[in-house]
Amino acid sequence: MSLSPVQDPRFAEIEEHRAYLVRYAMAQLRDEQLAEEAVQECLLAALEGIAGFRGQSALRTWLTSILRFKIADLQRRTVAERAREDVGEQAEASEDEDWIDQQFDETGHWRSPPQAWSNPEAALEQRRFWQVFEKCLGRLPAVAGRVFFKREVLGEETDDICGAEGITAGNCWVMLHRSRIALRECLQVHWFGEGVRSGR
Amino acid sequence: MDADHAGHKLNCRQASRLLSLACERPLDESERQALRRHLDACLMCRNFESQLEFLRKAARRLVDAP
Repeated sequence: MSLSPVQDPRFAEIEEHRAYLVRYAMAQLRDEQLAEEAVQECLLAALEGIAGFRGQSALRTWLTSILRFKIADLQRRTVAERAREDVGEQAEASEDEDWIDQQFDETGHWRSPPQAWSNPEAALEQRRFWQVFEKCLGRLPAVAGRVFFKREVLGEETDDICGAEGITAGNCWVMLHRSRIALRECLQVHWFGEGVRSGR
Repeated sequence: MDADHAGHKLNCRQASRLLSLACERPLDESERQALRRHLDACLMCRNFESQLEFLRKAARRLVDAP
């Protein structure tokens, strides 16, 4: 007799990847509701198909491949209603520019100087680190977060990303720059900072 | 981008822009020289430089993170 999905012990394991999957879907669909829908369908399909997953690839990789089909499906359905929100993206870019300026004082020095991180490579092996990384990604502004995800996580070319997002190369780059500074700062505070390591 | 750095010194704001820009396209000769001069003297921006590398590596690993 088969377990109902929520009873399946692998349900929790799959759920752990939800935040990543939503981010992935957002990068492609640019719409929170659609992204949630795609992930929901992906997780349901994953639970049905989990018996066939033999672990040749990482669970996340397998989930992502299912998600891709769901996204393509939704894209086909919504392609007609997709000429919108570029104004919002312009507004965010200029806000990002202001934010970057605020990270430096009048003479152009760092307000919160990057300190040396000890043994950053070791962090990559720790599960807790990935939770922090995920949280820091979640704090980025919507479009900047999406652009960063496509550029650095999925490794897409900047030109392709700007094209898909309908923003200029300059704005695209500003968003990437903001994301990098913000992520750096967030990791310094929440992972590499002295306060964190000494448990304060 | 900032055409104003040929010849004179960069501050951290400008240097960090170039470091981030270098993730998108190769810098030209004058940009590279100006950046090099700044980095030689600035530990904070050298930290930023290695943190950018780390961010890129971590982001790529997110695809199949545990």
